[in-house]
Amino acid sequence: MPDLRRFGDEWPAVAAVAGAGLLLLCGLCIAGVDPVAAVETAWRGAFGSWSRLAITATAAVPLVLCGLAAALAFRCGTLNIGLEGQCLIGMVSGVATMLALPAGPLSCLIGLMVGAAGGALWCGFAVVLERWRGVPLVLSTILLNTVAVLLLGALVQGPLQAPGSAAPETATIPEASRLAILASPLHLGVVLAVLAAIVSYVVQWRTVLGFELTVAGLNPEAARFAGIQVARRTAEAALASGALAGLAGAVQAAGVTWFVSDGARSWGYAGIAVALLARLHPLAVLVAAMFFAGLEVGANTLERRMEVPHDIGVVAQGLMVAAVLIAGALATRKHT
Amino acid sequence: MNEALLVVLLAQAMVAATPLLLAGLGELVAERSGVLNIGIEGLILAGCLAGFATGAATGEPWLALAAGMVAGGFLALAYGLMTVYVGCDQIVSGLALNLIVIGGTGTAWSVMQHHDLTTMPAGSGFARSWFGGWGVDLPLLGPWIFNQYGITLVAIAAAAAASWMLARTRLGLIVRALGDAPDACAAAGVPVRRWRLLAVIAAGLAAGAAGAFLSTMRTNSFVPLMSGGLGFVVLALVMFGRWRVGWMAAGCLMFGLADALQQHLQSQAGANRVPYQLWQVFPYAIALVVLALVRRGRAGPRALAQPWSP
Repeated sequence: MPDLRRFGDEWPAVAAVAGAGLLLLCGLCIAGVDPVAAVETAWRGAFGSWSRLAITATAAVPLVLCGLAAALAFRCGTLNIGLEGQCLIGMVSGVATMLALPAGPLSCLIGLMVGAAGGALWCGFAVVLERWRGVPLVLSTILLNTVAVLLLGALVQGPLQAPGSAAPETATIPEASRLAILASPLHLGVVLAVLAAIVSYVVQWRTVLGFELTVAGLNPEAARFAGIQVARRTAEAALASGALAGLAGAVQAAGVTWFVSDGARSWGYAGIAVALLARLHPLAVLVAAMFFAGLEVGANTLERRMEVPHDIGVVAQGLMVAAVLIAGALATRKHT
Repeated sequence: MNEALLVVLLAQAMVAATPLLLAGLGELVAERSGVLNIGIEGLILAGCLAGFATGAATGEPWLALAAGMVAGGFLALAYGLMTVYVGCDQIVSGLALNLIVIGGTGTAWSVMQHHDLTTMPAGSGFARSWFGGWGVDLPLLGPWIFNQYGITLVAIAAAAAASWMLARTRLGLIVRALGDAPDACAAAGVPVRRWRLLAVIAAGLAAGAAGAFLSTMRTNSFVPLMSGGLGFVVLALVMFGRWRVGWMAAGCLMFGLADALQQHLQSQAGANRVPYQLWQVFPYAIALVVLALVRRGRAGPRALAQPWSP
């Protein structure tokens, strides 16, 4: 994906978003919905007031963390498609820890760390399979995604099920162990997400390690000649991205849902889309995640107010990714 | 385990393997031509919905099957134009395709619920015993051939045809060369991008048929996200089969057997002491173990997932 790693020319992404938006509006027109009113409703629902902005920012937190995870892995050339499963494993291991430890901020902190470790471990299986048995990471992480969904289901119906409950869900995390609420529903996780983006930027752009990761992704051959341990750096990037995805799950559980149930939502695939929209730049991930969250929250408002199915938000997200890809490919072609 | 049970399990395995084999054949041909389509999951899901909607509206199984194929083929055309002609990254484009289809089918399903298009008329959908019930009671042949969906037999015939086509015909040679040496193809006067686009569309038609099979024949219903990772299993099976039709078909049957076995074990007395997810994870665990055990060899078409431009 050389087209995604060049920075400086942002116009393709902007043009892409505009094009996809236009396409979507045409669709709304055909469906008989007033497009101007629809955009206005969605915009107000997502960004119209401080309280709506807080809702959108809350929805953006897991998108930022998963987006950073995808950006890191893709920059280094490892296609970690398994973020979806790693995020779920982080969620369930984080909640299990927070429930097991005595209530308090410390248990929250340990829970988040265990969640990140869980995500890294889940990705670690795939890394081990690739390095020792040559199983492509794309393939094993895809299979591990399904395994993660089923494992989570088995856990919340078995050892982690809330005592005395028939529903497949864990008990609720005690209030003292949750992430502090800043402005309902916005929680402390938003600070964590911004910090993660800054740290990610500094490491990838301002350190030797980050330089080696980028070179290993851009041109493994050249990196090898320069004395960079490509296989090792790639594995490290994959593990770190797994940890970020796991953290995303744990943060979401500790800040928003406070428990895990069967069929819990994951942000892995959406995170990949966010990372691409941001052209794999950690700071741009913050903006792209807010945009994606806005699409989601806006679509929900649209459903309530104008009876447009909220799944239209997912279509919009997919169209955005496709548009960014097309614009990027066309731009690269022009340069060469 | 007695003999009768084995016969039943194998017959069930064939039903479970049918959509895998159909979609897998298409994906295999596309990958052989150099295009790795992760969006196969979305194509199957689109086939599920298009097939079900048409079946529910008309009650005609053939129309439902055709609608599923058209939906899959049309989306594959869009994907093919993006990846083959514009040169977008194949894997990420596939993810975008999946997102669009997941959102699109969700939206369409809400609309269908509004219009009460949520059930298939009784008796629509293909009958399981395709010979008018004749021959169902024969030993072995009955459950394996006569009491199967016609499309299962079509899929097996298609697999044999594809295997022969790839190995023995000029068309097969072109498909293999597209994925191994596109430059040589172009030099020999074969329009690389046009042929690749055709292979991608063929894969879309096959995946759409697999989807229509799932919704209109196997379950007679539509549920959002009903493809449930089947497309990803197909991708794994093609790789597991080392891009050969025979090995991939064997993989499909093995996966189908694992699926039939887990359903059987789940229905046994005392099985509910173990969470059902443990049974469901069985095929995926086997796929992972087998992938780890097979020897490393040539890893697929040389130009797989690489865009080509003249």
